[in-house]
Amino acid sequence: MKLFKNGSLAIGNSADLESADVLVDDDGLIRATGRELEADESTEIIDCGGCILVPGMFDLHVHSRDPGGEHKETLDTCAAAALHGGVTGMVLMPDTDPPIDSGNQVKNIHERAEGIGSLDILQSGCLTKGRSGEKLAGYSGMVTQGSPLLTDSGRDVPCPDLLRRAMEYAHDFDILVACFCDTPALTRGGVINEGRASYRLGLPGAPAISQEIAIDRNLRVAQNTGARIHIQLPSTAVGARSLRRAKEDGAAVSSEVALHHLLFNEEMVTDYDSRFKFDPPLRLPEDCAALWDALLDDTIDLITSDHSPHTPFEKSTDFGSAPSGSSSLETTVLVFHDRFIKTGKCGWNFLIRKYSDNPRTLIGKEKLSWEEGRRAEFFVFDPESETRLSTDYFKTKSPVSLFQDETVSGAIRETVIGVQSFS
Amino acid sequence: MTQDTYIATEEILSPGEIESTVAELAEKILSSCGETPIAFVGIYTRGVTLAKRVVRVLGEKGHHFPLGTLDISLYRDDFDNAGTDFPKLESTDIPFGLEGTRVILFDEVIFTGRTIRAALDGLMDYGRPSKVELAVLVDRGHREIPIQPDYVGLKVETKMNQYVKVRFDEDDNQEGVFLVTES
Amino acid sequence: MSKMKPRKDLLDIESLSLEEIEHVLSNAGPFKELFQRSVKKVPTLRGKTVLSLFYEASTRTSSSFEVAANRLSADVTNFSVSTSSITKGESLLDTIETLQAMRSDYIVIRHQSAGVPALLAKHTRASVLNAGDGFHAHPTQALLDAFTFREKFPDLKGKKIVIVGDILHSRVARSTSTIFQKLGVEVAVLGPSSLVPEGRPEFMQRLSSWEDVFDWKPDAVYLLRVQLERQNGQFFPGIAEYHRMYGLNSERLKVMRERGTYLMHPGPVNRGVEVTDEAMGYEKSLIGTQVENGIAVRMSVLHWLKPKTGME
Repeated sequence: MKLFKNGSLAIGNSADLESADVLVDDDGLIRATGRELEADESTEIIDCGGCILVPGMFDLHVHSRDPGGEHKETLDTCAAAALHGGVTGMVLMPDTDPPIDSGNQVKNIHERAEGIGSLDILQSGCLTKGRSGEKLAGYSGMVTQGSPLLTDSGRDVPCPDLLRRAMEYAHDFDILVACFCDTPALTRGGVINEGRASYRLGLPGAPAISQEIAIDRNLRVAQNTGARIHIQLPSTAVGARSLRRAKEDGAAVSSEVALHHLLFNEEMVTDYDSRFKFDPPLRLPEDCAALWDALLDDTIDLITSDHSPHTPFEKSTDFGSAPSGSSSLETTVLVFHDRFIKTGKCGWNFLIRKYSDNPRTLIGKEKLSWEEGRRAEFFVFDPESETRLSTDYFKTKSPVSLFQDETVSGAIRETVIGVQSFS
Repeated sequence: MTQDTYIATEEILSPGEIESTVAELAEKILSSCGETPIAFVGIYTRGVTLAKRVVRVLGEKGHHFPLGTLDISLYRDDFDNAGTDFPKLESTDIPFGLEGTRVILFDEVIFTGRTIRAALDGLMDYGRPSKVELAVLVDRGHREIPIQPDYVGLKVETKMNQYVKVRFDEDDNQEGVFLVTES
Repeated sequence: MSKMKPRKDLLDIESLSLEEIEHVLSNAGPFKELFQRSVKKVPTLRGKTVLSLFYEASTRTSSSFEVAANRLSADVTNFSVSTSSITKGESLLDTIETLQAMRSDYIVIRHQSAGVPALLAKHTRASVLNAGDGFHAHPTQALLDAFTFREKFPDLKGKKIVIVGDILHSRVARSTSTIFQKLGVEVAVLGPSSLVPEGRPEFMQRLSSWEDVFDWKPDAVYLLRVQLERQNGQFFPGIAEYHRMYGLNSERLKVMRERGTYLMHPGPVNRGVEVTDEAMGYEKSLIGTQVENGIAVRMSVLHWLKPKTGME
């Protein structure tokens, strides 16, 4: 048995931390929580004095790059990065090579994931065959194999008719449809938000309306078909307003925000630093503020990392040619704490709700709790320490991060799942 | 120049002496005049001033000579394209044909001779004079290449840690020739 | 004594100080005077090498750089993009590695992607001269435009220039408007909304018609080239309509002639699109002068930049 002593427990439905010890038995289940728990001689005691025990996070938007992009990331390195960052469960995007669009592929990933450890790895499937936007993928097989949601990840379904059929068909399986909202004819070759930054840097711009009208379209089609829709990575104030309106209408809609869309805006793209290249791109400061407000008032349900590993070499080419996104599984909790919790903008309960509870309940999983009999699944956070995000901090195969070489407050000492612990 | 360098400055030509030296230079040049047309070319910056003064002195005596200017920055063999100097270029203005002309180059001081070499290169790119001569206010010795002046105002023995500083009112708001010693 | 810091690369106009712009423009004058001599060459950069790397074809700009380098006695090598492995998918960084190994002192680069010269500059000791990147910058064009305009108006303060055409896709518009703004010249733009982006800086005030332009009383009209690939009806309905709305026709040329307004254009000109044949013979056209000045300005830039190649 293991006794995590003298820590404080964080929970999703209260801002208060509760001072308590946690006793984990040899099956990895929580045996008891409470003050001054007694331990016998065989119990390993882990002193968590000054630390906070936080339920493991669940990331609904992770690009594992496996198969086909193993030089960037593999299931193993992706899982290691997740655990290193306090994330104990995740949904993998199907935009691999080849894309995951069949039951067999999902089965294969789930089998491989089982070998990796107790981490909760769920493989999502494509909405359309090969993510091509041309015909429907085989939903029944993927649903049977446990795909939690369907998405063409990084691509919208441009044809409204096909989108409608996809949603109708998905509705039959009551499976969540996650939409990356984009109007390709408007985005064209845009690599940065269209506006001052695109003018200044002379790069082709992607206009905000390209995403905004796609959000509206996708919401309308979902409402029309009755499908459950999840809007991926809204990036503007107008997009957030559309979501708010749809929720007010009682639509079955949820959405997420990536940490980088809360923290960064187009003005910060200087010197053609390709680490600032995202899809959807960074927008305006007022968009960041509107997304935060939408997260606060539950218009936006959850936070994701949008972990998108690309090798340092791939990212080091010119801004226009560099791939979008960077690695963020290991930095989301730390940076969120540094920017929002430590500064008093919100408490741990908010992060737990948005990055642990809500994503789990959205795909029909039980939230984590400290109840006796539940599997231990948490990380030990030391708020007094600090973490330097140097290259050797990262366990991802592609240590490219916007926070590279920054020192953030707090440190994740270890992540515990059942009897295993990772640090 | 760093603070702790000790600098001694000694005047070797007063304003009055400059005037008489320029007059002597003018006289020497005049006495050498023959059949061939003569033109003056001053090397930027103070060579131009020196040439102008000589032209003025001779003009007062009723002898008129055409005057050109030459910027030799682009011909220097010590241009450092990786360093910190940013030479400001001046207009090279040679408003007369050089073919068949006897050109007298003017510079305020001759030292290693490298400036004059650059000036000769520059001059030749404008045409082919029948003869080129050199007039200087001060010759401080230490030649590094075989170039000698034809008309010298003042010859001074100098050491390597010394240099000759010529100041003209037109360029510097100060008049005088100084021997500066750094130690 | 100048307090200017050595600058390795010329990537854009934005980052230049007024003193640097002044230095390049004022030295360009004496360089231009050299063109009157029978010997147009000076030995200044003897033994230095200039590598010319054009990912986008441009005979005019590459020749101008080449002539400028030759007149400074530098050796010019053309790294032929079409025959090298660059077109075979070699990564940009690998190409840069190769270029670095060639130990050129200066690299002149044009690339269709904005930011590539900046990336190259970061990875090489050579001075990088941006000869145009994406829609971003074309700094030597801006310098030659300013030099040309200043030959006519030595005191630039309060002078006015209107830039006409496709601002959105024009690196010339970006760089040239910036240098004029820095030098105290007022800048306005004329063009359809589809080609005059909202994200432009505030100093570029928008005029809506040629009537507006003439009311504004510019000292020069700067026509941009209408790119052939933009003529497919995506941004404006067609050449005829563009010419009618924004082209320099005889009527407009007549007003310019009456007022003595100068005409500028970065070249090459599309006759019948942004200008008529008649305008090409306009006595106050500076288009030919711009080309000649381009060489002098590029010589001045090569003379000014300080590569770090001597420090290995």
